Amino acid sequence: MGRMKFLCDVERCIDCSGCVVACKEGNHIPVGVNRRRVITIGSGQPGEKSISVSCMHCSDAPCIAVCPVDCIYQREDGIVLHNKDTCIGCGYCFMACPFGAPQFPTGQVFGARGAMDKCTFCAGGPAETFSAKEMKLYGQNRIAEGKVPLCAGMCATKSLLAGDSDEVADVYRERNFKRGSGANAWGWSKAYTKK
Amino acid sequence: MTNSLNDMRHAQSMIFIGSNAAEAHPVSMQHILHAKEVNNAPIIVVDPRYTKLAAKATEFVRIRPGTDCIFIMGLVNEILQKGWEDKEFIRTRVAGFPEMAEVATKYTPEEVEKVTGIPAAQTREVAEILAKNRPTSLTWCMGGTQHSIGSSITRAFCILQLVLGNMGKSGGGTNIFRGHDNVQGATDMCVLSHTLPAYYGLSDGAWKHWCRVWDVDYDYIKGRFKEKKWMNAKGFTLSRWYEGVLGEEKIEQYTPIKAMIQWGCGSNSNSQYNRVVKAYNKLELFVIVDPFPTMAAATCTTDNVYILPCSSQYETSGSVTSTSRQIQWRYKIVEPINGCRDDYTIMKDLVERLGFADEFYKNIKEVPEDITREINKGSLTIGYNGQTPERIKKHMDNWHTFDIETLEAKGGPCNGDYYGMPWPCWTEEHPGTPILYDVSKPVAKGGLPFRNRFGLEHKYSMSGRTEDMLAAKGVYNPGSEVKGGYPEFKDVVPGTNWKTDLSQKTIKEAISRGMAPFGNARARCVVWTFPDQIPIHREPLHTPRPDLIPEYPTYEDQPNQYRVFTKFKSEQNPDLAKDFPFVLTTGRMVEHMGAGAETRSNKYLCELQPDMYAEINPVVGNNMGVRDGEMIWIESPEGGKVKVKALFTERVDEKTIFMPFHFGGVLMGKSLAGEYPEGHAPYVVGEPANVCTNYGYDIVTQIQATKDGLCKISRA
Amino acid sequence: MAQRKIRSSSSVGTKSSRVTLNPRVARRSFLKLSAATAALTGAVMTTRMTAKAATPAAVKKAYPDSTNVRSICTHCAVGCGINAEVQNGVWVRQDVAQDHPVSRGGYCCKGASAIDMVTSEKRLKSPMKRVNGKWQKISWDTAMSEIAAKMTAIRDKDGPDALHLNGSAKVSTEMAYLQRKFAAFWGSNNVDHQARI
Repeated sequence: MGRMKFLCDVERCIDCSGCVVACKEGNHIPVGVNRRRVITIGSGQPGEKSISVSCMHCSDAPCIAVCPVDCIYQREDGIVLHNKDTCIGCGYCFMACPFGAPQFPTGQVFGARGAMDKCTFCAGGPAETFSAKEMKLYGQNRIAEGKVPLCAGMCATKSLLAGDSDEVADVYRERNFKRGSGANAWGWSKAYTKK
Repeated sequence: MTNSLNDMRHAQSMIFIGSNAAEAHPVSMQHILHAKEVNNAPIIVVDPRYTKLAAKATEFVRIRPGTDCIFIMGLVNEILQKGWEDKEFIRTRVAGFPEMAEVATKYTPEEVEKVTGIPAAQTREVAEILAKNRPTSLTWCMGGTQHSIGSSITRAFCILQLVLGNMGKSGGGTNIFRGHDNVQGATDMCVLSHTLPAYYGLSDGAWKHWCRVWDVDYDYIKGRFKEKKWMNAKGFTLSRWYEGVLGEEKIEQYTPIKAMIQWGCGSNSNSQYNRVVKAYNKLELFVIVDPFPTMAAATCTTDNVYILPCSSQYETSGSVTSTSRQIQWRYKIVEPINGCRDDYTIMKDLVERLGFADEFYKNIKEVPEDITREINKGSLTIGYNGQTPERIKKHMDNWHTFDIETLEAKGGPCNGDYYGMPWPCWTEEHPGTPILYDVSKPVAKGGLPFRNRFGLEHKYSMSGRTEDMLAAKGVYNPGSEVKGGYPEFKDVVPGTNWKTDLSQKTIKEAISRGMAPFGNARARCVVWTFPDQIPIHREPLHTPRPDLIPEYPTYEDQPNQYRVFTKFKSEQNPDLAKDFPFVLTTGRMVEHMGAGAETRSNKYLCELQPDMYAEINPVVGNNMGVRDGEMIWIESPEGGKVKVKALFTERVDEKTIFMPFHFGGVLMGKSLAGEYPEGHAPYVVGEPANVCTNYGYDIVTQIQATKDGLCKISRA
Repeated sequence: MAQRKIRSSSSVGTKSSRVTLNPRVARRSFLKLSAATAALTGAVMTTRMTAKAATPAAVKKAYPDSTNVRSICTHCAVGCGINAEVQNGVWVRQDVAQDHPVSRGGYCCKGASAIDMVTSEKRLKSPMKRVNGKWQKISWDTAMSEIAAKMTAIRDKDGPDALHLNGSAKVSTEMAYLQRKFAAFWGSNNVDHQARI
């Protein structure tokens, strides 16, 4: 059995932001906070590529290492979650993260950062499963329902894959086999040093 | 579409011209990229902009706006010169081919280069890709149609597919991606000023047919009109209705337009929008029916304006036809939210107050199902008779049983049906027609020949040749009684034909004999009722290439086009390009939709795209001394101007300016946010691009030419 | 360099102990989606995951007693499936319509927020008219009777062709049909919609 991973297939990403809005709408994320975003490289030029980025739920997650209040933890399946009740909003995780995933509330006076927010792989957080508190602080707990994360489930072109790494790799391998290109899954080498 | 989005999975090559599917129809890309990955199908994108679709293309062809026709006819010519045409298909199923081929010879790759700016070598290369990777799926959208020669352009597309023999084949077809969610359904119902539902037209026969369906006397309906002649006369169009109000152009109607109901119609989609605003304020009655206040509400400041808050389509039920002709049922998710009413309730209330509810609702008790049944009863021309509300709902309830590759239900309650019963669906047992004009299947199983619509033979004016319009011997659907071409069915029930026999015996008889009710004929390359019988290039009214006007002039002015004088020749001013040096073209962005009233009321979408902008090439920006992100004025020859952010990008070349058309709420530099009902102004406002889109309309359809106008730009 | 620092410092982290310290984790790891369905949607879950998970009884529905209603996205003509979860008459969640034969659960950003069409604060809640240029709320009855009276007056004075109806490609086919039928019964061909442009 593998662990949970995201993979964005850049050959398929069309920069439609379906993943971004699926996440925000489904998890009631305030405007200004982006658990996921789509980045376009070489916009308007031959070779233009887009990629959807969020927390990659790293194997050896730097955010966990740097958190001074130990509010970030990793589940057995690899999903990295955090406790907003404990979080002091210091922003160390943001500095440590190679993907710019941690988000902080915007529009407040300087210094009043509030608790960090980031992608939960649609696995809620350390509040009672399906409770109003969990929904408010972390969003849906779709993993507990046996459902896929919203971003990947709603991806227009099935560019964004999410789930068990073995299965993700199988889907991607099959695609690459069919299109005959090399496997250069974006972000994997950085995110997943170990399988 | 003749085929379906899913069927594009089987394409061996794809050409998109005037379509940016990656932004306008993102989910279709699932199937398009599948064909690219699995079939190794080349994707050719022909566009003035390097779009997000172009980013996924294998071949990007940058074309000057408005020159699509000559490029396509150039491809046809190249294919013919190389002998790559499908000779057997042309011999047996195509009409007017030699006449068309004669015209096409003029369009050599070099001539194409001269007019379009596409290198001759690239035209040759594209022709070869298409010839060697069949079938090709051809897609166009508004980029192909919104031109003064739009009707010729679309016909050129069809001719290309005929020449390549790509029609009626899985993976081929002319696959026009429609815009709005139900533009196919609304078009089929002909919310159009030139025809009654299901394309019956406005002839006396058409009116009598529908009166029979409605179960009212023809004389009753006749009595509702001012005079009988107005029953048969095409009405004003969405493009130019406001000319009927303003009185600035000569109109052919006994009265100006004084009242307007705008029901689910974004207002800032009209070109020369500042003139539309003037018309709003001249109306004696203006009713806006919409879930969100459209820009019309903000621009009409007289006391003659009303807004009726209708519910969204999630708060009511009914069918909706996708671009693949699939009819799907929207179940009501929730009751209309606070204070809103659904469309049917508003219509019923209005009709009751106007005093013709008894006649109007004669057959309609259960809403909306009885309406669907009335549509089934009358819409025989397009085979809309087999899609009963019960069947549509059954498909919806069992959508998981349909195969992704073929869209055929494998087992389950819909076994053998094609998803959504794409029309024609001739009977309640018919599975629907997933691919139009496909002679490889029996008609009863979704096969179809070309329709016999234009007589049995025709003598061409340009060649003097007479041609049999029916398909050649040997072309027929499996199981057909006649092993070749045959005319449409009539007089099965005396005095009727397949289109007017409400008992549907004619249709059933045809199907039982393995034949199509509408006959088995040839597809035409020559349309003798059009001003240009064979597609030829004509320069846009406002062209950046005045040197080409003598060779490619536009049409004569039309004194009565949909009740209004429409300029062509008198508008084609060769000096215009001196003062207005840039070509202005418009299009979609993925985050917003249509005129944007809905999407600009969605906070997440507004966060993603908060600003109106114009794409300009960095060279243009730097030459005029403006920086990326600064405000600029864009001005049209008609005096419309917008103040927008400059977005530097190489998506556009140095001659072209692009603007998305979804913004509204600002007019010629002035914000109207305060003019919306309090608390209901959209989250973001911006200048509507259509203030700057130019004068110009298609010769046949009067679609506005928003893709090939001219403009000038200056620092703001 | 920074990256290496983080890595080395992470060696003191007690990842596994954090996992075991959290009693809720095991329960939430339960997964039931089959691999076949998942491969179809592009999102991948595996039944093998259930091997280590808690019993199915530990899983309850996020929205008890909710029902799922199928609809179609109202934006473009692709016709993507909508899977709406409704609880006590309220649309609580838009779920993935992963077995829709065309969209297979996919949406662009517009479709992904289809629910916003109903929940947006910008939705109008009452008929309005301008009085001395200012918007005023009026009742449905007032609005409809005033509109009908004005329409009748214009029809009597100027004839039926003094009205133009711009219908819609955003309504149901049935409603579009009624719009065209309305024009016919009103007595004019001055009716059109977005397909013209």
